[in-house]
Order: sequence, then C-alpha cells, then structure tokens
Amino acid sequence: MGGGERGRGAPVRTVAYAASGIVLLAGCASMPDNGDLRGVESTPRQDAQVRVFAMPPSEDATPTQIVQGFLEALTSDDPDYKTARQYLTREAARTWRPELSTTVLSDGPGAQADRPDRQDTGSLSYTLTGTKVATVDAQQSYTPASGSYDELVHLTRDAKSEQWRIDAVPQGVVMGKSDFQRNYMSVNKYYFAADDAGSPPMTVADPVYVRSHVDPTTQMVRSLIEGPTAWLDPAVRTGFPEGTALRKGASPLTPDDRGRLTVPLNDKAAEIGTGRCEEMAAQLLFTLRTLSPAVDEVELRAGGGQLCSLAQEGAETVATRGALGRPDYLYFVDGEGRLVRITAGSGDTEPAPVPGALGEGEKALRSVAVARDERTAAGVAIDGKSLFVASLASGSSSEEPVLRSTGETEEDRLTTPSWDAQGGLWVADSDPTDPRLYLLEDGEGEPVQVRTPGLDGRVRAVRVAADGVRIALVVEKDGRSSLVIGRIDRNGGTGERPTVTVLDPRSATPELEQVTAMSWAGDSRLVVVGREQGGVEQMKYVEVDGSTPDVPAPAALTGVEAVTASEDEQAPLTAYSVDGIVRLPSGAQWQKVTEEGTAPVYPG
Amino acid sequence: MSGDSAASASGRSGGRPGRPVGRKTRGSRWGRLLDGGLLQGGVQGSPVIRLFVRWVRRPLLPVMRLWRRNIQLKVVVTTLLMSLGVVLLLGFVVIGQVRNGLLDAKVKASQSQATGGFAVAKQQAEEAVSVTGDDGAAADGRPSQSVIQWMSDLVESLSSGGQGAFDVVTLPAGDESGSGRGPRASGQVNPTASVPAALRERIDASGSAAQSYTRIVYDTKKDSQPGLVIGKQVNDPNRDPYQLYYLFPLTQEEKSLSLVKGTLATAGLFVVVLLGAIAWLVVRQVVTPVRMAAGIAERLSAGRLQERMKVTGEDDIARLGEAFNKMAQNLQLKINQLEDLSRMQRRFVSDVSHELRTPLTTVRMAADVIHEAREDFDPVTARSAELLADQLDRFESLLADLLEISRFDAGAAALEAEPIDLREVVRRVVSGAEPLAERKGTRIRVVGDQQPVVAEADARRVERVLRNLVVNAVEHGEGKDVVVKLAAAGGAVAVAVRDYGVGLKPGEATRVFSRFWRADPARARTTGGTGLGLSIALEDARLHGGWLQAWGEPGGGSQFRLTLPRTADEPLRGSPIPLEPKDSRRDRGPDDAGLPRGGGDGEKRATVSARQAGADGATRDPFALRPATVTPTADPTALPGNGARVVARPAPPARTGGTRTASGTQSGNADDADGVPEAVDGAGPGADDDRDRGPERGAGAAGGEGGRSGTRDADTDGEASRGRR
Repeated sequence: MGGGERGRGAPVRTVAYAASGIVLLAGCASMPDNGDLRGVESTPRQDAQVRVFAMPPSEDATPTQIVQGFLEALTSDDPDYKTARQYLTREAARTWRPELSTTVLSDGPGAQADRPDRQDTGSLSYTLTGTKVATVDAQQSYTPASGSYDELVHLTRDAKSEQWRIDAVPQGVVMGKSDFQRNYMSVNKYYFAADDAGSPPMTVADPVYVRSHVDPTTQMVRSLIEGPTAWLDPAVRTGFPEGTALRKGASPLTPDDRGRLTVPLNDKAAEIGTGRCEEMAAQLLFTLRTLSPAVDEVELRAGGGQLCSLAQEGAETVATRGALGRPDYLYFVDGEGRLVRITAGSGDTEPAPVPGALGEGEKALRSVAVARDERTAAGVAIDGKSLFVASLASGSSSEEPVLRSTGETEEDRLTTPSWDAQGGLWVADSDPTDPRLYLLEDGEGEPVQVRTPGLDGRVRAVRVAADGVRIALVVEKDGRSSLVIGRIDRNGGTGERPTVTVLDPRSATPELEQVTAMSWAGDSRLVVVGREQGGVEQMKYVEVDGSTPDVPAPAALTGVEAVTASEDEQAPLTAYSVDGIVRLPSGAQWQKVTEEGTAPVYPG
Repeated sequence: MSGDSAASASGRSGGRPGRPVGRKTRGSRWGRLLDGGLLQGGVQGSPVIRLFVRWVRRPLLPVMRLWRRNIQLKVVVTTLLMSLGVVLLLGFVVIGQVRNGLLDAKVKASQSQATGGFAVAKQQAEEAVSVTGDDGAAADGRPSQSVIQWMSDLVESLSSGGQGAFDVVTLPAGDESGSGRGPRASGQVNPTASVPAALRERIDASGSAAQSYTRIVYDTKKDSQPGLVIGKQVNDPNRDPYQLYYLFPLTQEEKSLSLVKGTLATAGLFVVVLLGAIAWLVVRQVVTPVRMAAGIAERLSAGRLQERMKVTGEDDIARLGEAFNKMAQNLQLKINQLEDLSRMQRRFVSDVSHELRTPLTTVRMAADVIHEAREDFDPVTARSAELLADQLDRFESLLADLLEISRFDAGAAALEAEPIDLREVVRRVVSGAEPLAERKGTRIRVVGDQQPVVAEADARRVERVLRNLVVNAVEHGEGKDVVVKLAAAGGAVAVAVRDYGVGLKPGEATRVFSRFWRADPARARTTGGTGLGLSIALEDARLHGGWLQAWGEPGGGSQFRLTLPRTADEPLRGSPIPLEPKDSRRDRGPDDAGLPRGGGDGEKRATVSARQAGADGATRDPFALRPATVTPTADPTALPGNGARVVARPAPPARTGGTRTASGTQSGNADDADGVPEAVDGAGPGADDDRDRGPERGAGAAGGEGGRSGTRDADTDGEASRGRR
C-alpha cells in the first residue's frame, strides 16, 4: 500500500522482495539436501531386559505355591531378596545367606514334593532338582560345574497363622541359566601383576559376576576393594591397602553428570600416598570402564578429604592393560614358508616379507610367533622339529635352533610358540612320550622346562596372556582336547635358574570335546575353535572362568586350523581355514586375505 | 380558582380514593429495593461484595467507555472472537479426526501384532509340554515343571521382536499369585501400574483378548506415556492360565498429533491475526471518513460553518464527503440568508419604534391638550378624549416595550449587576402593586423575607420582572391571595409568585412567555399590558443567567418562579423553590381543592409587611402543612409530549419537591424554601429528573425550550384562558 507513490522504482523493488521471499519460503517446503552439520547425540539403547517382580506369598498358599514363589523370587531384582525371605520362617530368614553362592542350573530348578500325602502333618519336604551348569561363589567368581543338583527344602506349617513357610533351605540362590544371564553380568576387576616390575604396571583382569540390576557400580567397587578372587590372588597385588572398604553408610555410587564418580573409603586408606592412590583409581577406572553410564573420572575420598582424582586418560599412564597394545601387523607364513606380514586392521592383502632371516625363506616355517614389541620373531620349522628365533631387523642372520623336538610325527613335535609380555618365549613339545612346556627367557638361552602340576595330558597349543600371569593351554588327553587356563608362578626359583610353574589349571570349556585352536581376544576372553560332544566345529568366545560372554559368537567358518585375535578388539579376528587366511572385520562377514598362507598370528 | 374547576378536578380523582395509599407503600418498597440493590450494581448482600464489584469495575470503566465509543474496536474484537471461535472449532474437529485416524491405524497394527504374540506364546507352551511331557506325566500330577525360567524366556523372546515398539508384561491370572508366577515385564515397564485393573478383571472373566488405553509407567526415570494395552489369558506348559499383555506406547502417535496441533495452532493464529488485520483495515477505511464527518459536523453545529471535509478519490466515501460538503455549503448559505433577514427585521422593528416615537410625542401632546379640555366637551367627545388618552398610554408603553425587546434582540441590553437585597426589591414591587391589589380585593403576602436574600443582579431589571409577575398575579388572581416567596440556597436565589386564579392550561406554561401571546385569541386585547411583559421578563432573567419558569393548573392557580445565580457569572444548577407549589390541587387532593386551609400553623410562614398584614390579616395559609398521604392525581389531559412535562403517574409525595432528598413535607415543613438546599428543579429540559419527579406541570421556560413546541390542547376544563401582560 502506498508503494506506488514513491515513484517507479518502488514497485519493482517490492516485486523483487516478494519474489525472493517466495523463493525463501519455497526452500522451506522441501526436504533439505545439504547443510546443517551437527553432532548426533547417542541415544541410549532401550533396555529390553525382562524383569521379574517378586510377589510375597499369598494367603493360604499351598506348599507347592510357596516353593515356586520362593524360587521365582530368587530370580527377581529384589536387592536384598526381601520378598524371597517372606517365604521363609523367621528363623530360616535369619540364617539364609543368599550372597554365599549362586547355583546355575541348565533349566531352572524343579521342585518335587517328597511325600505329598503328608501335607496335613504340618511338615513337608521338597526336593529341588536340576542339572548344574556353574556356580558363583561368595567372591562372585564363576566356575563351570556339572552334575545334578539335588537339594532339600523343608516346609512347616506355622501353628498360629496356619501358613506354610520354608524352614530349611540351601544357602545361596539357585536359578536357571537364562535367568542367570538376565540377572547377572560379567565384569572384569583389574589388579596388578604381582611380579611385574615394569612401569607402568600391567593389569590383570579378574572376571566376576554381579547382579546387573542391583546397583552394579557399587557392587563392582565393593568387589574390587575386597580383593581378587582366590584363584588369581597369588599372582596379583592390589592398590587398596589391607582392610580398605567403602565407608560405612555410603550411599549407592553413581557418577554425576560429568561422569565423575566419588568413592568414599574408610580410614584405612587415609594415609596412602598419591602414587598408590592413583593405582587404586586406575583399578577403579578400568573396572568401571564397561559400565553405563560411563565413568570418566574417579575421585577417592577418605578420612574426610580427597585422596586423589584420576581421569580416564590418566589411568593409562598409571597402569597398562593388555588390550591397550595395538598390533601393527598381522603375520603369517606364506606359501614358500616365509614369514610375511600385512598391516593390521587395513584392507591390505599384499603381504610383504618381514625383514630379517625369517622373512628370507631360508628355512621353511610351519608356525610363527612375533614378540609383542614386534622386534623379534620365533618360528617353528616346517617339520616341527626345531624352533628358531630371529630379529625382525633387516640383515639379521638365522642362528641355530634354540629348541629341538624329537617327536615322531610332525604333529607330535613343537607347537606354535607364544611370547609373553616380558619377552619370554613359550612353546610346548607335544611328544606323546615326553610332553613338555618350555619357557625361553628373553627368547634365548637354555629353555626352562615349566612345571605343570595338575595338568594331565600333553599340551597341544599354548598362548600366554598379555599380562604374563595367565596362560591358556590346549591339553590333549585320551583323544579329548580341552582349553585350560593356568596361572604362571615364577616364585620359588633358586639362583639363576628360576622355577616357573603353571598352577591351578582350570577348564574354561568343559562342554567342548575337541579344541583345535584358540587365541586371546581380550583381557579375560578367548576365542576358541572346538567341537562339542556330538556337535560340529564352531568358533566362540569364552571367558577365562569358563562362562560364555554376552557377545555374539563370530560367524561360522569351516575347517579352521588356526585362529588369532588381538586383545585390542579393533584388530579383526583372523583365521586359517580351508579358504586360506580370512579375517572378520567387526560388523562384516569373513573376508579372504590370501590363499597362499598359513599360521596367521598377531604379536604375542 | 373557580368552583367548577375544583369540582371537576375532585370528581376525576375522587373515583379512586383508596388506591394511592397501597400504591404508595408498594412504590416505596419498590423504591427501597431499587435503592438498596438493583440501581447500585445489581448486587444485594454484603458491602464487601459490592466493594469488590466496584473495585473490579473501576479499571474496566475506561475500557467499557472505549468499547461504547469505538466502532473500530468493536468490529475488530468481534471479528477476532468469531474467527477465534471458528478456528478453535475447526481445530477440535481436525485434531479429533487426526487422532481417530492415527489411533485406528495403530490399533489395527497393534492388534495383529498382539494376536501373533499370543499365538506364539500358546505354541511355545505346547512345545514345552511336548518336550517335557514325559516328565510331567511321570510326576504325580503336581506342576513339577518349573515355569519360572520358561516364562521369563517367553517374555524376553516376545519382547525382543519389538524393542521400543512394544513391551510385554505377564501377570498372574486372577488372585492366583501364590502359584509362583510373579509379574514379568520387559523394557522397565511397571506392570501393575501400567495394566488397568478393569482390563485385568475383563481378561480374568473371558478367554478372549481385550484391549484398553492406559498410561504406561516406567520404573526408571523415563516419563510415563500413553499407550494401548492388549491382553489375553494364555496357558503355560502346566496348563495354568496367566495373563499376557502387549503394551504399545503411543509415543509416535502423540508426536504426530502434537505436530498437527502445533501446525493448526500456528495456522489458526495466523488466520485470526489476518482476519483481525483485515477487519481493522476495512473498518478503518470506513470509520476514518465517518469520524472526520462527525468532527466536521460538530464544528458546523458549533457555528463554524466554513468547515469542510477533505475529499480524495471517487469512491463511496468520497461521494459521502461531497454530499456532506454540499449540505454544509447550503446550510451555510441558508443560515447566512436567515441571519441577514433576521437582522434586517430587528433593525426594522427598532427603526419603526424610533420613527413612531416622534409623531407619537406630538400626538401625545395634542391628546393631552384635548384630554385636559374634555370637561368642556360634550359627553361623547369627552369619552373619546379619554379613550384617546388611554390608548395613547397603551401605545406608548407598547412602543417602550417594543424598543426594549428590540434592544434585547439586537444584543444591546447590558447588565449592570451589583449586590442587592431582593427583599427590598420585593417590598418596592409589592407596595407599588398595592393600589391595584386593593382594587381587586387581593391581599399580597410575602414569605421568606426573614433573612436577607442577596444576589448580584441589576435591580432595575429584577424589579421590572417582579413587578410584571406580581401585577399579573394580582390581575389574574380573581381576588384571591397572592403569595410572594423568597428563598436562597446553594448558589441561587429565587422569587416565586403564586396566585390562585384560573391557572394555566396544560401547555400554556411555556407559551405564556411568547410575544403577544394570548390565551384566548378571540378575546380582544382590551385591558392590561402589551403582551410583551413576560417576554421582556424572560429576557431579563436570561440576561442574568437565570431562569424564569411558569407552572399552572387549570383552576388551581399558577406560580411563576424567578431563579437567579447568587453571583453573576455562576451557572445555575437548581432552584431553592420547587416550581410546582406544594399546595397544588394535585397535591392537596380533592377535598380542599380550591380553598387553602386556614390556620396559621406554618411556623416559617413569612410575616407580611405591616401594611399587608393590616389589610387582610394572616388568616389563611396556602402553604399549610399537608398530610403526608396526599393523593396525587394525574391529569389525564396532560399527555406525554406535552410542553408541560406531565407524567400520568403518581409519585410519592416525598419526591414532589424535586429530588429524593427532599424532606420538607415529611418533616412537617410547610415551607421547604430554605430547608431544601439542593432542591434541584426545573432544570429546563433536563431529562434525568423526569422519573424522579412527580407529575409536574408547568415547565421551565428559560434556556432553550425549543423541544416543547408540540403542544396539544386537549383541555376540557377550565375556561380561564388568560392573556398575560
């Protein structure tokens, strides 16, 4: 209005403005195809966990209902099993200790009345039956178990209220396997290798099971402070002084908005120095690493003041974790018996011979191992009779074999060697007549025969964990090979010849009959190729305590003869199968690396 | 006041002697009701509420005033309200439809999903039975098989199919919680709070699936959200029933709905604003010229005839402006013409009067000579000489009056005001009229002259006015008393002259002030004045800024009241003396009509001057105390629209005095002249007093009584048509 009064230019300008306005508006009317760059906030995945809500016993419930209700209450998220205790008599509720153990049955406990016709006497027994799969002890350490579960539950009828209640119940809780998987989660506690002089010290993972819905943070912190599980205890030390505990009356621990977790400790920890405190904080940070919401910083408090505060980045300077060492190359033996390598984690499929003697192909190799610093490599000759060690520096010469085997067939001679974190080379001689496990300190010198008390059978494969404390062995006996985890003990040595022992071997795969290959795939995880009784060959992950981790198994692959994985989960799992060397990048299918090659290994 | 007229008046009003009492009480009750409540905001009850209402209303008053005065605001607000209503209605309808559509789709999809889930649950139970069937059969029939883990697994497998899309909940059937099946829920749903109890009962009762809307409550910090829950009773491997529920959150639907809501709200807002703006624009286009026209018209009516509207364009509004301007032009032309004409006529009258004077002086001298020598003439000639002298006197006074009035017309009259005591003036006038009164047998009484009645006035003019009134009263008083009453109150003084003669017929009260008006045109003007006396008196009153008003009733006499401001420039707001005297026939009732009651019971009655008292004696008092229950009578001949403001409705006598605060009659005051300081009366055409005042005849004649022209003489009584001098 009134635009026309300002002369001839005004209408033109008005039209121009209107046109540009229309163009602008038209831009709003279609979907944008560029611009507006911004970050995406990760939305937490909805927890689809099924939860069981325990119900208190109903009025005039039958004995069967009481027993079933009690068993069901055990599978609930009740923090202190309050509801379950309502099914017990007062006396039994006082003495019952659910935290003492958890028995995992394959298919849930069945309850059977012993004599159903005696209900009217006011006393009744039920037998809980099932097939044991595992037990979790008071230290929350998981142990595979087998055999049948057979426990007695006794009910009485209260004289006054006429209600049936359980007055005798086995200690601990019992539940089915899937309930266990729903309610518990495996968590690695981290301690320091006891005899590790390195700096920063190497941490050792100690897997335990905590109830995943009942304040796992506090449980994990408490469990960490209490100390390592009995099996690992001799080989590790903890930063927490003796007698340290969470301060009494401390509220449930939760990280604040910035991921900072404040841990109040009792007075035992009040006097320690900063270095020790940072070790404690690093242990906490490593332990709480997998937790959600993430903990980025830990603050320790004791005696009313702050002890120290450590952030995630700082923790890695205080202590190191096996998974933190990232391999540079993937090594394998090519068709001509040479040691070749390709860059780890890349799409590179063109192998290059390593510098040094082993890459020159003077001696054809069957299997190799590369030290964790990737400066030295060991190779077993094609006939398996001799073990060579050579530097990976170019121009290094091939020396005399450091170890020889006298096995009759190729299969009965030296196994694939393995390097530990201290530079020791481990190899087993699977001569059926004289099976032995050797350790070459620093990869040279006289091989030390490792004592293996409690180990029955010959070692077919050996892999040392990055922490140098645990060793995975495939032990064959009576045509049945199983995976055994042992603890390396270097104490008790005399003079120059230290005594090295593998102690307390325990089976990690009781259900597998034939383990053909294995490799460490994490702090406390291995990837295993094996066959169950009456089953087919499969590849799966196992925890060192024998439980099955909560991750999907790798895609199936046939004819796997060797498998290697890095403790760093970024490096793809690599295997040697009928298709040659293949690898499994995360989130993809198996890819062929090369057909001409065998024995792929990552350093270690 | 003649007996005839008194009789007829009493006959008329005597037909309903009993009613006025009841009427009065009822009226007073109504009056109290009106006073107490309805007239004051319509709120009866505690003063707190009334205060509150007043407090609320006070800030609204300017708004309401603006609302009443501003058509643009009215139209815009109305448009906004209407469009808002339409937009709201539309919004509700559209949102309702969208909601139904979304829900329909969701419900269908959910139902099929849930039905599939129920089938899966049933199938899994059957499979579990078949796998472990042997064991179950081997047992003693008790449910030895553990369903604890089975059911947890079932919920997990069912819920894993739709993470985020739905959650699965199981609840025990009925009250059978003791069978060992606690509720299970996926996705942190609180099962007992999320499944409505009515649905549980329904599912307990019937085996078929049922659905319900609910609010899904979570145990975590997640907000609860609306959802659809579909449930069914399913059997577990032990063939025990349990309830399986699928909970579908309606988050997505709610989001869609809120999107639609937001869109509609935005669009609606824009539409409302647009409509309001359109209305504003359109109304402005129309209202602006109208306002301009109103302003111009006001200025025109204020006399600035040269004002014109600004006209641009050729549209309807411009035509209106042109027509308006043309009208103004014509008006200006006509008014100027008329003014010229009027000036010319006044000039002519003035000139004629002057020109007549010179010959008249000569004629007068000659006539005086003849008159003095009349005794020498024969009787017929002598009689003629007398007649000549009389008519010459009359001619002279007529000429003087004409000159006087032409001075008024020319605006040449000047007021020489000074503080005077009206009592002196009245005394002079009364003594001057004494001879005439004696001739007529009339007694003149003065009331209310105890106190000085001082006002700034021109003594000569006031005396002329009063003389005129008193002489008129004596002449038309038919020998009855004439009462002159003085009063001062507020900023005004008043003199009322009351007579009890034939009175005035309805409508005559205003016409008496017309020039040369006579009550009976047929009667020749043989006696008395020139017919200009009252006109001059009116002009004199006007010159003082005062009022001169007349009241009269046929047969009941009349009263003329002169009200002057106490100081010259002050405007008048009321008069101390009511225009209608209290002893009017209507007030007194039929019984004593015509005869003022005797008995000197009025304490405040003025003592008349010594001469008067000696002449007649104060035996009769027309201002005697009236009973409080005087019957008000309505004059049926006084029609609405009549120049005399006659309302054919009786009013409580308390109101007769003028305002509702009048207390003179009730407190026994016969004379309320000085007891009623605020006796506002006869404020010309003031409309406000109409309802409060009783039936009042006689009207203000001062100050523009132009609206009173429509008079209808429907008089049937009272032959007393009088000319006034």
